[in-house]
Amino acid sequence: MNKLRFLIYKDVLLLVRDKAGLALMFLMPVLLAVIMTYLQDSTFHAVHENHIPLLLLNRDADSLGVAMEKQIAQSGIFDVRKTINGEPVTKEKLVAAVAKGDYMVGIIVPEQATVNIRKNVKRYIVGAFNGKALPAVADSVRVAVYFDPAIKSSFRTTLMSSMREYAVRTESDFIFNEIIAEVNRLSPIPVADVQLARNQVIFSEQYASLKAPDKIPNSTQHNIPAWSMFAIFFITISLSGNIIKEMDDGSYTRLRLMPCPYAFYLFGKIAVYFGVCMWQFAALMLLGVFVFPYIGLPSLDFGVNYFALAFTCTSSALAAIGYGVLIGKMAATHQQAAIFASVSVVIMAAIGGVWIPVFVMPRLMQAVSHISPLNWGMESFYAVFVRNENWASILPECAASLLFFGLCIGAAIWYNKRKRIDL
Amino acid sequence: MNAQNPNNTLHAAITVKNLKKAYRGNAAPAVNNLSLSVAQGAIFGLLGPNGAGKTTLINILCGLRAFDEGEVSVYGYSLPAQWKEIKTLIGFVPQEIALYPMLTAYENLRFFGGIFGLRGAVLENSVNALLSQFGLEQSKHGYLKNFSGGMKRRVNLIAGILHRPKILFLDEPTAGVDVQSKNVILESLREINRQGATIIYTSHYMEEAETLCSRVAFIDEGKVICEGNPAEMVKQQPDCASLEMLYLQLTGKKLRD
Repeated sequence: MNKLRFLIYKDVLLLVRDKAGLALMFLMPVLLAVIMTYLQDSTFHAVHENHIPLLLLNRDADSLGVAMEKQIAQSGIFDVRKTINGEPVTKEKLVAAVAKGDYMVGIIVPEQATVNIRKNVKRYIVGAFNGKALPAVADSVRVAVYFDPAIKSSFRTTLMSSMREYAVRTESDFIFNEIIAEVNRLSPIPVADVQLARNQVIFSEQYASLKAPDKIPNSTQHNIPAWSMFAIFFITISLSGNIIKEMDDGSYTRLRLMPCPYAFYLFGKIAVYFGVCMWQFAALMLLGVFVFPYIGLPSLDFGVNYFALAFTCTSSALAAIGYGVLIGKMAATHQQAAIFASVSVVIMAAIGGVWIPVFVMPRLMQAVSHISPLNWGMESFYAVFVRNENWASILPECAASLLFFGLCIGAAIWYNKRKRIDL
Repeated sequence: MNAQNPNNTLHAAITVKNLKKAYRGNAAPAVNNLSLSVAQGAIFGLLGPNGAGKTTLINILCGLRAFDEGEVSVYGYSLPAQWKEIKTLIGFVPQEIALYPMLTAYENLRFFGGIFGLRGAVLENSVNALLSQFGLEQSKHGYLKNFSGGMKRRVNLIAGILHRPKILFLDEPTAGVDVQSKNVILESLREINRQGATIIYTSHYMEEAETLCSRVAFIDEGKVICEGNPAEMVKQQPDCASLEMLYLQLTGKKLRD
């Protein structure tokens, strides 16, 4: 045990004196967690709070155009403008301004829109009263919507679905009023004006949870686990570099000639870097709980299953350490280890869903994501943080992480033995 | 046959019989049917040009490298089967500075001493005494990366002798050091030898080997081409005034890779 104490103490000293390595292991994940959570949160606020600049050219100037204008303004999403520098808008000016990026959206309500709708409604009602088949819609109203070319397609889809919702509301209100007017004109018994009651069907939006139904997942709940996993897997650069440096400077050769089992050497490294991972987790969790609320971000909720959280942290940390040991053992040079470790972790993070959620990936990539140890860790964290599940539910993911650790350490031991026998 | 009688003092410190070692991709073997015996308590010099097989031989004797054919035993323990036992007897001072640059000299030595099983006051006293003996007491808390070449070599040597090994392997311990450091290193080796340790040492400095070693072996192309007491070897060749002249006569003046 004393030899192990010496090995651990040596690795702790080497670690705390490696300032660049410490910055990489602690500062980088903290910065990433803050920036990414802030960005995701501000994207949400951009849609719902910061008004999107919209340029409107209403050529109808009748009741449909006015109703559409009113709906868009009342949505609260848009900052509606009808002039450019005090001058009236034309189609050409509108297209040019949106193309330049001065406005995110441009809308042109065509001339005669109200007249055309009225004409259609009239034909329907006359047809209905005369018992004739419904005629096909003629002269439908085409509202042109222009988007800034720099706008992301996902954002455009969101805007278009909102626009459609407002259009349907306006259209139904307008058609209903026109039907009443037409019926009153044709029928000897007058029909009173009817105001359509809104919100007859109400969507009650909530997240399904078995144990804490009032808990609302947010960008923090998603980002802290994601960047924690990314951070702990970035220790592979420091860990593999540490192993290779020892081989390069000959101190490992000296150690091999001492009465010290290789298992002790490995266990010393595992113990030290396990401590590092736990500090990383603690730093990111505390960041989410105490710092995020001060900078306007949602606070992190640990969930209720602390044992499951500890199990997740332990298995994920061991998976990262095993991977680092294996790279350190297999790579020939420090540069090779650093490049391979960083690139492979970035790839595993990408396919594991750190940057893009797995559910939006193509089917093939969704299947591939299950081979990433970062995905196993993230899924376990989500189960604990968001779904309040217990340790039994995360057992498959944690077992996969522990198996990965075992395989990596086994391969490192085998490679070390093989290398000693012949070079 | 594997001998296993470490308590028998009649055993040679090292016995090598018909040793062969070839590296993959190299046409000529690095060690070619080499036989050698080193008596306990000797200071034995392995001398030879670059690529002669000295470092390969030392690595095999330490158990760092496997061999293809032959028998090797160290204090009666055979390699590779009894490497664990051999590791408790040997000290190794490699050619490179095999230490942690980001640890101080004191931390490096405490660590390696601890791994050798030294504890408490024994470890402290041993580290401090050797640091003092090698003139490093004042700078023991300095990071090794800031040390001069000579200071690093001295710490490198201390790390190999802290645990008082029965047999000490040194691969060019005085390469690139100043005269003062060299003098301290050689004096210390004599002292260690006086205390009973067997020393196996490689060098390119013939004059140094002539004064230090009780026996030397010239190795070339993986074979022992001449072996004996340095003074007697020179005496037996009337046209050679020094070990270096004899060495050049036997190994030739052609440059080696």
